[in-house]
Amino acid sequence: MSGRFSKAVASLRTSSAFALLIALLVYALWPWLPGHARAAAPRTIVFYGFSILEHAVSEDVFPAFRRTWRARTGEDVEYIASFAGSGTVTNQILMGVPVDVALLALEADARRLADAGVVAKDSWRALPYQGVVNRTPIVILVRPGNPKGIHDFADLTRPGVRVVHPDPLTSGAANWAIVAEYGAGRRAQPDDPEAGYAMLLGIWKNVVAQAASARAARTQFDLGFGDALITYEQEGLWDRARGMLHAEIVYPRHTILTEHTLVEVTRNVAPAEREMVDSLVAFLWEEPAQRLFVANGFRSVNDAVPQPDSVFAKIEDPFLIGDYGGWAVAKKEIVEGVWRDRVLKELGR
Amino acid sequence: MRDARDEVSGRAVRIRNPGAFAPITLLVLVLLPLLLMPLAAVFVFAFQGGPDAFREALSTRESQFALRFSLLIAFATAGVNAVLGTFAAYVLSKFRFPGRGALTTVVNLPIAIPTVVVGTSLLLLWGPIGLLGKFLEPYGLQPMFAPGGVLLAHLFVTFPYMLGSVKPLLDELEVTYEEAAATIGASRWQTFWHVTLPALRGSIFTGALLTFAHSLGEFGATVLVSGNLRLRTQTAPLYIFAQFEAGNLAGANAVAAVLAALSFVIFFLLLSAARRSERQG
Repeated sequence: MSGRFSKAVASLRTSSAFALLIALLVYALWPWLPGHARAAAPRTIVFYGFSILEHAVSEDVFPAFRRTWRARTGEDVEYIASFAGSGTVTNQILMGVPVDVALLALEADARRLADAGVVAKDSWRALPYQGVVNRTPIVILVRPGNPKGIHDFADLTRPGVRVVHPDPLTSGAANWAIVAEYGAGRRAQPDDPEAGYAMLLGIWKNVVAQAASARAARTQFDLGFGDALITYEQEGLWDRARGMLHAEIVYPRHTILTEHTLVEVTRNVAPAEREMVDSLVAFLWEEPAQRLFVANGFRSVNDAVPQPDSVFAKIEDPFLIGDYGGWAVAKKEIVEGVWRDRVLKELGR
Repeated sequence: MRDARDEVSGRAVRIRNPGAFAPITLLVLVLLPLLLMPLAAVFVFAFQGGPDAFREALSTRESQFALRFSLLIAFATAGVNAVLGTFAAYVLSKFRFPGRGALTTVVNLPIAIPTVVVGTSLLLLWGPIGLLGKFLEPYGLQPMFAPGGVLLAHLFVTFPYMLGSVKPLLDELEVTYEEAAATIGASRWQTFWHVTLPALRGSIFTGALLTFAHSLGEFGATVLVSGNLRLRTQTAPLYIFAQFEAGNLAGANAVAAVLAALSFVIFFLLLSAARRSERQG
């Protein structure tokens, strides 16, 4: 290779490297370059939600609110969102993320925010339905054809059944599932005070994977882990509606109806934005929004909203967190008292 | 014909020894499932739905924002650390002072600290309940959960790369040139600007490229300090993670394939830069 030639190659390489970097920079800056005059900065709502809400809120409910708000005021609303396990979301809010409205998987997380002074104590109870936006029961998803013959929580305690469960540390669904499993045990054998503990121990012996959120657990299950997944009914219904459910939904005889609590973090809401944020909050309980949640597989809190039995199967013995003293009691006595302090200890985890 | 191994060293070594065949085959067989096939899987899944599905997955507002935001943060990180890192390398290499060893250790520390710990420590310093953050909050200053917080995290995590690239060269740089410059009356600044800096050009470029590449892929610290807000602080790796967890494999893989391709390009730029400096050295 002649010196001149290799020098030319080297300089060609250098200039193409620089050209590439400049192209990348231009691409990155593109939306902010002059000539992209955008409409006046729209008003913004920052929404945090627990994992399974993503499609319902981002694709359906929020766009519907945006349209109503525009029709009413002529203003555009920008929507910024983040979705994760309810516990993760709560921890982020405790660390100070600039959230306006959060829809949490369970009231226990709202109480954590109140205990830390982020929202006023019980402020969500002043909202419609005590702050509960929608519901969905805890169910079991199994492989097509139900090869392991799983028909109830008790079947998950059999040896050799591998259960995928979300992680109670960060997932709201996991906390609901623990109360569901405990309650199912108690209600099947009302005379035996240890039946709840026995059910939890049996199921947790078989837990092979714990994901950070219900949605993440679902992905693990879809990637082929485990024989059964304990999760929200909504997860199965929404996929079934799209023809993408590669699993079967098993309804336990006794199971809990989860209730999802909305909090408005008023201290983060600028006075000028207050009216808009309040409108969004109110909108969530109005019929159009409730219908959209139902279309996404959630059960509505409003009985006036049609919820066909063909989609939402009847549950033989549904129960509520109120039956176990509300989250203030259930978190302490069941999730911590029984599951954490007894079951995990017994299993040596 | 030279194989890829020789590209790295820049020397044309041909395989003459027939005994080398077995170990080379073994190495390739080991590397295949360990490195090559996982990378191939990303591309296979990314293009599973055909080029249209790939383009569609890439054209969502969130994925475009995530890619652009990652690139901007990477450029900013590389730019700031190129200056700061070169300055640190210059001070640590050219001046003798008590505590120099300790300071050298401190600036290299980010290499050893898990990125998650970096994220936590930034939150505990600058976050709304952090040591300094709680004094800033009343003034409406909130570096965390904002683009500035992501930049802070990336500056921290990538700080040592610039140093690692520039300082060895500075240490070895012939003092004769600098002395010569001084004898003809050049000030310290003139010497640095006209003598030292041109000699460092190549290593500053590689250091900045390395910083850029690391910033592009940073996850552990970013996930904590960003608040993971889409269209505001969600970087490309966070987007990939969020979409993967949500079961949107197509969306996750499309962006993953782009990131991987970018990393390859940067890697080959680094290789060719290294080869050139080796030839010169």
